[in-house]
Amino acid sequence: MLQLALKDLRLFLRDRRTLLITFAIPLALITLFAFAFGGLAGDGDSGPYALPVSDLDGTALSGALVAQLDSLDALVVVPMAQEQAEEAVRKGNRDCVLVIHPGFADSVEVGGELPVELRYDEAQSIQVAMLQQSLIPTLAMFPFSTGHAQTAMGHRIDRMMDQDNERDRQAAKAQFDSLYRTMERGITGQPSGNMALGAEVKMTSLVKPAPGNNVGLIQAVAGTAIMMLLFSVAGLGMSLLDEKQEGTLKRLLVAPVPPVHILLGKMLSANVIAIAQLVAMVVFAVLAFGLQVRSHVVGLSLVVLATAYACSAFGVFLAAIAKSRQQVQGLSTLIILVMSGIGGSMIPLFFMPAFMQKIAVLSVNYWGIQGFFDVLWRELPLTDPVFLGRLAALVGIGTLLNGMAVMFFRRGLVKGV
Amino acid sequence: MRVAGHDLATEPLACKQAIGVVPQEIALYNDLSAWANLLFWGRLYGVPAAAMRERAGGLLRLFGLADRGHDLVGTYSGGMKRRINIAAALLHRPQVLLMDEPTVGIDPQSRNLIFEVVEQLHGEGLTIIYTTHYMEEAERLCDRIGIIDRGRIIAEGDLAGLKAASQLRETVAVAYAGDPEQVLRQAAAFWPEVHQDGAYTHFLTTGGQSDLARIIQQSGEHGMDIRSVEVRGVDLETIFLSLTGKQLRD
Repeated sequence: MLQLALKDLRLFLRDRRTLLITFAIPLALITLFAFAFGGLAGDGDSGPYALPVSDLDGTALSGALVAQLDSLDALVVVPMAQEQAEEAVRKGNRDCVLVIHPGFADSVEVGGELPVELRYDEAQSIQVAMLQQSLIPTLAMFPFSTGHAQTAMGHRIDRMMDQDNERDRQAAKAQFDSLYRTMERGITGQPSGNMALGAEVKMTSLVKPAPGNNVGLIQAVAGTAIMMLLFSVAGLGMSLLDEKQEGTLKRLLVAPVPPVHILLGKMLSANVIAIAQLVAMVVFAVLAFGLQVRSHVVGLSLVVLATAYACSAFGVFLAAIAKSRQQVQGLSTLIILVMSGIGGSMIPLFFMPAFMQKIAVLSVNYWGIQGFFDVLWRELPLTDPVFLGRLAALVGIGTLLNGMAVMFFRRGLVKGV
Repeated sequence: MRVAGHDLATEPLACKQAIGVVPQEIALYNDLSAWANLLFWGRLYGVPAAAMRERAGGLLRLFGLADRGHDLVGTYSGGMKRRINIAAALLHRPQVLLMDEPTVGIDPQSRNLIFEVVEQLHGEGLTIIYTTHYMEEAERLCDRIGIIDRGRIIAEGDLAGLKAASQLRETVAVAYAGDPEQVLRQAAAFWPEVHQDGAYTHFLTTGGQSDLARIIQQSGEHGMDIRSVEVRGVDLETIFLSLTGKQLRD
């Protein structure tokens, strides 16, 4: 029994692929998820959030609010023109823009509702909700910090006391007491959760997708489709190594076709299958979940083609650099899981801290998913530079990987047969 | 180097087109039928579509697989796979056929069929380069034989020429009863060239059957008790071993 166990342990330690799957992949994924959920950065602190602010009021008071927001550890104010900021939100380059409307200073002085609006992309709801945690307390305390609280209180009390009957007056008095305590806590630097001092922020969604399309559905379709596509094209790439191991590659190489055509043939078949797989997944989402694609067929087709090209190139590249099927299996599992993790297939990007969102651009998944969002959520026109840029990134990644695959195929695989 | 009139350096594809290769491995797609495999390899060599079906059907009949042509190659026996492996190299009607150990690990019937096909193709004028470790195959099939050791051709020619060059001679191997050393002394008394190898006493001969009769007669006259007699001619295997030695190769 002991001998059998020792033999199995010896075989286990000699099997690099098993070691990779047993130790390296789980460690890589733990690291990835820890970063993704902010665990390694301590209490989710992932650096200050860059908040675009459009100050249409342009007064000293609105300037003071901008300065206060900028002084927060959690925020960095990025002054932007409203139109420019909203365009950035619509194209997915920014989550939201804080608009300080004209009349802000007057409202502060008379204790009215502050004309402050957060115009945002619903696809970034979680980021926006987290932003509100920093934003609203600051707005709530703003009248106190600028010495306008008393005026504001007076106007608010006048409104509350302007009631017709005794019962309402009693209710107003109770509200006054509550309000006073709130103010007191505010002055002592302990603002309460009561945001009754005109600190509500008007929320306006800038992106209005087709009815039936929601962030979750698009994320599920795009994220899953691209991750599964990477797995299937890795399998297709392995067929090249099967050809090598089974001797058919040697036979192909003695046939009257240029060697590089063998690889090009693999690329072509991988592309066709990748396109078919993506189309099947989109069609399923349309039929099963009502994904609306009718008015986006051309754009979606372009995203599908570019994504299929980039993903299939990844499979062929893997096959060209690996020496055996086993090596491809180990490598592809590791790379695909990591790319899917950082690229937003496994965890939506809006859950991730800012620095993770920045490194997401290294992943094919990111560009593909953003392409799907550009078409189905943001409804960008086909000529939009942002949309074209994402397509170009996918095509560029695919071409780079294909080029490297050809080079490795010529140097390694052909000579090694 | 030129192949069928084409320069290998400047016309590699034309050279490849002139050659048919039967690799040692079964280089076929197991998940395709024999028919589909033949069509694939035929298309790769540019066989015209009109001729393809006729040629593929003819080859399946030639190799005795007409009734199994549409079965997946993965379901075939080793011998059947070997036969299709050869057929796939013939579809484009090459001028030179390279066969790398085409009979490894197959049943005697398939092996015999392959021999017959090779002889038929040779008879039709096809140049065949056949590599094998089975010396009897080379003796049966080849006009010219090259012996390769450690990657170099160490002897080349027809079988008769190789025999003559080897200077090896036929032996009569006799197993006698009794002490081998005493037997060798007795044999040396009536035969000029004799040596002992284990239980056998080897008489080097030049006269064929008449030498055999003389050895048996002399043995009787010297009171030697014969247990068995074996005439060992010079064949390709003995030439091969004499040229390459008996040391094992990696």
